[in-house]
Amino acid sequence: MSSYLRELEKKSIAIVREAKAQFTNLAVLWSTGKDSTTSLWLCKKAFFGKIPFPVIHIDTGCKFPQIYEFRDRLAKEWDMNLIVAKNEEALQRGVSPKRDRFECCTLLKTEALKNLIEREKFDALILSIRRDEHGIRAKERYYSPRNSEFQWDYKNQPAEMWDLYVKPSEDYSHMRVHPILHWTELNVWQYVMQEKLPINPLYFAKNGKRYRSLGCQPCTVPIPSKAETIEAIVRELKTSKTPERAGRAQDKEKAYMMQKLRSLGYM
Amino acid sequence: MRRGKINLVVIGHKDHGKSTLIGRLLYDSNVIPEQKLQEIRDELEKSGKKEFEFAFLLDSLEEERKGGLTIDIMQTPFKTKKGSYTIIDCPGHREFIKKMLTGASQADSAVLVVSAKEGIEDQTKQHVFLIKTLGITQLIVAINKIDEVNYDEKRFTEVSVELEKVLNALGFGPVPVIPVSAFYGDNVVQKSEKMDWYDGLTLVETLDKFINPSVPPENKPLRGCVQDVYELEKKRLIICKIETGTLEYGKKVVFCPSGEEGLLRKIEMFGKEMRKTGPGHSIGLIVDGIKEVERGEVLSYPTSPCGQVQSFVAELILFLGVKIEKGDVFTIRCGTAEKKCNVQSILEKIDPVNLALQEKYPRVLEEGEVGKVRFTALEPICMEKYSEIPQLGRFVVEGKKGTAAAGIVLEVQFLERPKNDSLRR
Repeated sequence: MSSYLRELEKKSIAIVREAKAQFTNLAVLWSTGKDSTTSLWLCKKAFFGKIPFPVIHIDTGCKFPQIYEFRDRLAKEWDMNLIVAKNEEALQRGVSPKRDRFECCTLLKTEALKNLIEREKFDALILSIRRDEHGIRAKERYYSPRNSEFQWDYKNQPAEMWDLYVKPSEDYSHMRVHPILHWTELNVWQYVMQEKLPINPLYFAKNGKRYRSLGCQPCTVPIPSKAETIEAIVRELKTSKTPERAGRAQDKEKAYMMQKLRSLGYM
Repeated sequence: MRRGKINLVVIGHKDHGKSTLIGRLLYDSNVIPEQKLQEIRDELEKSGKKEFEFAFLLDSLEEERKGGLTIDIMQTPFKTKKGSYTIIDCPGHREFIKKMLTGASQADSAVLVVSAKEGIEDQTKQHVFLIKTLGITQLIVAINKIDEVNYDEKRFTEVSVELEKVLNALGFGPVPVIPVSAFYGDNVVQKSEKMDWYDGLTLVETLDKFINPSVPPENKPLRGCVQDVYELEKKRLIICKIETGTLEYGKKVVFCPSGEEGLLRKIEMFGKEMRKTGPGHSIGLIVDGIKEVERGEVLSYPTSPCGQVQSFVAELILFLGVKIEKGDVFTIRCGTAEKKCNVQSILEKIDPVNLALQEKYPRVLEEGEVGKVRFTALEPICMEKYSEIPQLGRFVVEGKKGTAAAGIVLEVQFLERPKNDSLRR
């Protein structure tokens, strides 16, 4: 492994172990995408082969079939304790991006997660966001508390000095832990390549197009690409000048939509 | 060969142009995706602005863009011909000091931005004082907004001379000073043609020439922080993050403050064993001959063990919403240890703006203030002087809402151990 990737990995593993030691009821979120699959692998490494806490997949009911297939295959292979969070009530009411994209993301993702956290009493969640993905995610801390209303007070975040990650004693519903915050998209792919991680086939180009970021089927479009292998993706990213989330509708619907979604507890 | 990654924090008074300078740096280095530039142009057009806002490349919050100020830190990767950097943009407003410190605590070097027009202001001095307190010694100064003083050499010299006094008083050696205009791009990436009186380097050239990546502290005494203990099938692994020094298997090790001593039989990672490892690595250890070890203890070699402190003097920076008084009890987090300590006395209150002693033995330190405080350890805890082993010489005070204050250990008084103890002979 390149020495730089090794440094990234070291820091991430140390963070995951800190979270396990500091919180009593930890879980990790998994979209089946490249970032959260990388985090799962880091958790596997940190705990010597088996992830000792639940893996949560938020199911909006409109994910790609390849996402479900990949999820179920890997969950079995890696012996995960998989929990699927789904907002059945909202789905039955017919919530969809056609009506209102903001409402759809909030109800099917944020609310689904909120309900699960309340039910299972999780006090910390590992999420695989990265600073280079989006301006609003770049403002995050490694440990990022959500208040009792589930909200992120991004204007008044606590200090985070050195690598001393502190758990507040009150006024938070759960902690978001971000072990790969400092990685870039390219780092993730280089790591996937070196560690030979299983990866969702949607990322590979088919008929001149590939998905660069995975979301729900109605709100995610592929980008033009010829990259059919991980090696080709790494080469493509070294020269690409398109933003990673170019194919994600919720980022551009309205100005600051991501900021508003995230302040309410979106990932 | 490429150099290692450098973490660079950009500091200075509000409105002196920190975000604009970084935005310009990124823009001229041609690393911003066209789509992002177009989004910013569209947004500016909607609000009726004609000129491009370089700061928008960093300031992504609605409140930041509409208010024209940075509210929270932003980190962004950046490459030059010679170096690979992470640039950390900080807010310059006084009330955002905790965020500035969050950014600065991740950095190994700093760029100070001073407006040629306004000159030195309160947070100019305060920020330099704080990074010096955190132990950052690599500094470059960018005298910005040189266009607003008509590229005047005299004004540049005036500000530089005044600044030199401040930096000297804080113990900085000679520091490179560059006249720049972030707005027009003079001397940032491209050499300016509007200042024939300046024949020095551009900001980027200066970074590549003067700033070096920090060296992993492999040659210091071994210190590792116990994160956890895992009970796996038929084996117990002590999970330890190495902070300084080199850990080698087959050697005798000791955990403090418990004093448990044993032989290091294995260093384990998932799927492999290691013969030795160093700073930053979180690994699993199998140690023969020890009973109970818990999170918070410090691993070292018995030849240079980590000492348990009775009391220590620290420079303490209080964040907003906190105050301390003599007799207060706080939980202090140092390494992985979280232990109760008592404020024995407040020795000094330092004025971080005028960089001077403000008061001896004040009764109280208020939010946002800096002071020298003597703490007594109420529970067993190991610490070091920051000047010797920074990783165990820095700590935070835990508050209800998280980190409430940051401390740098200036002096330590170790606990006398009983004579029959093998440790501190």
